[in-house]
Amino acid sequence: MKKILAVTACPTGIAHTYMAAEALQQAAEEKEVVIKIETRGAVGVENALTEEEITEAHAIIIAADMDVEESRFEGKPVIKVAIGQAIKDPHGLIDKALAVQPSAQNFIEKAAKSKEERRAQMTGPYKHLMTGVSYMLPLVVAGGLLIAVSFIFGIEAFKQQGTLAAALMDIGGGSAFALMVPILAGFISFSIAEKPGLAPGLIGGMLASKIGAGFLGGIIAGFLAGYVVQWMKDTINLPKNFAGLKPMLIIPFFGSAIVGLLMVYVIGSPVKAIMDGLSGWLANLGTGNAVLLGLLLGAMMAFDMGGPVNKAAYTFAVGLLGSGIYGPIAAVMAAGMTPPLGLWLATFLAPKKFTAEEKEAGKAAGVLGISFITEGAIPFAASDPFRVIPSIMVGSAVAGALSMAFGVTLRAPHGGIFVLLIPNAVVNLGMYVVAIAVGTVVTALLISVVKKNKTAV
Amino acid sequence: MDILNIIKDETIFIGLDAENREECLQKMVDGMEKAGFVSDKKVYLATVHEREQKGSTGVGFGVAIPHGKSDGVASAGLAFARLAKPVDWNSLDGKPVQVVFLIGVPEKDAGNEHIKILIAISRKLVHEEFRKKLLAVNSSSELYEVLQSI
Repeated sequence: MKKILAVTACPTGIAHTYMAAEALQQAAEEKEVVIKIETRGAVGVENALTEEEITEAHAIIIAADMDVEESRFEGKPVIKVAIGQAIKDPHGLIDKALAVQPSAQNFIEKAAKSKEERRAQMTGPYKHLMTGVSYMLPLVVAGGLLIAVSFIFGIEAFKQQGTLAAALMDIGGGSAFALMVPILAGFISFSIAEKPGLAPGLIGGMLASKIGAGFLGGIIAGFLAGYVVQWMKDTINLPKNFAGLKPMLIIPFFGSAIVGLLMVYVIGSPVKAIMDGLSGWLANLGTGNAVLLGLLLGAMMAFDMGGPVNKAAYTFAVGLLGSGIYGPIAAVMAAGMTPPLGLWLATFLAPKKFTAEEKEAGKAAGVLGISFITEGAIPFAASDPFRVIPSIMVGSAVAGALSMAFGVTLRAPHGGIFVLLIPNAVVNLGMYVVAIAVGTVVTALLISVVKKNKTAV
Repeated sequence: MDILNIIKDETIFIGLDAENREECLQKMVDGMEKAGFVSDKKVYLATVHEREQKGSTGVGFGVAIPHGKSDGVASAGLAFARLAKPVDWNSLDGKPVQVVFLIGVPEKDAGNEHIKILIAISRKLVHEEFRKKLLAVNSSSELYEVLQSI
């Protein structure tokens, strides 16, 4: 059954907002259509639409003479009219909403959204880690790209004091990258213990960074801080008159002291040793091992297309950026681009094996692919997982391995083909393009071979 | 809920004589002032006109709901008029208007009980049955009864 959503709003928010809502409600009842209407008026937002409802909705009617936070409907069919229209012709509006066809973009959105929801429902350490990573990513993007821009002036240009290149390096490397690990740790802790967790987490992350324990140290510091603060929140009970001291004094002071001391005296050094070992190993990787690492990271990227395994590989590579290791991120990005790109290509190579809707989705997947949004492959994988997922894993593993074998390095953590346009952002650019192209072709050929013909389209 | 807090005898006009929208609004605002809802007629009327200019409040079915949120309003109030003869209101459906609800809300008032009543009335206006009842009222007490039923 098609479910319709609507939002009504007007500047005064007393009359039209509610008349429009009532008119739509009445018309929907007459047509026996399920509808939910959010009103934004003088008494605030009532009957707010949830993300889940938006995902499931067939179409959304916006009857408003003002902003209604439309961005949350991105990818859904939206019918937008002036508020008067809903009062004048509610039946016509509902008919129009029922008649809209979901586009290929919606098809993709739907799959990506359901994925996101599944992730939102996840609890525990994985969720905390991902919260930290999501707050860290903008810093990585900003830092990586600014450093890349500084390289436009030459790889060594930033060493010249007072130049623009030096300033860019200071912004990107000296500041944005320096904040990476503290923010990662801070928001892992924040995710666990909420606001009181932030300060001890940030401090623990800063220490990890200073000690040289890198992103691994940051992750440990974040979890440590989060669980310590949570424990303090749960166990410390002060008399009512002093209760205010707990969040203001006790937790910041003792929480940070415990986390900090553990980082300095217990955790820091061994983790630093691990990070140094890892960095050293990665920096001097023989071709054989490099290819193995590329294969592994590549296959992980494609395995669940944006899920936990994919994010594990991605987080690993991004974390290494902070330690100046730029190879794995290149492999990871190549491998993350080939699944949607390969599927896009496959819809041309073997059109009989895809439904009309999938062919439409293929075009969108191509765009998502060049932007390094692996989720573009999800609609295909969802409809035929046992053929599609192994195929894209092989293609991604090939792309990752080739990227590593060619010694490609990438200074930016995201951006798809668009970062390739920045001079010096990619070392060995030509072979990088080859790696992505080969991965795409391998994916497409495998898909074309293993998928079955659609009997009726 | 107590409808009498937001509508008074002075703001009810059964069989109001008005040649046009302008005159109708003028007379109703006078009543709002007498009843004590409006403290500054000029300021309030300006807001109401401003709102009309953005788009007519003639919502169709012979009903108009001019309204204004303004510093000229002392407390949220409502005026009701059933016109002696329909006047043009530039309505959404092009039909002349016979029932007018004039709504006044203080600038700094949001989300209180009075506004909730006004909202409930607005919602009700969409229903044909309710409009028929409004068109049939012949006295203040009958109007109270209809509004009380919300």
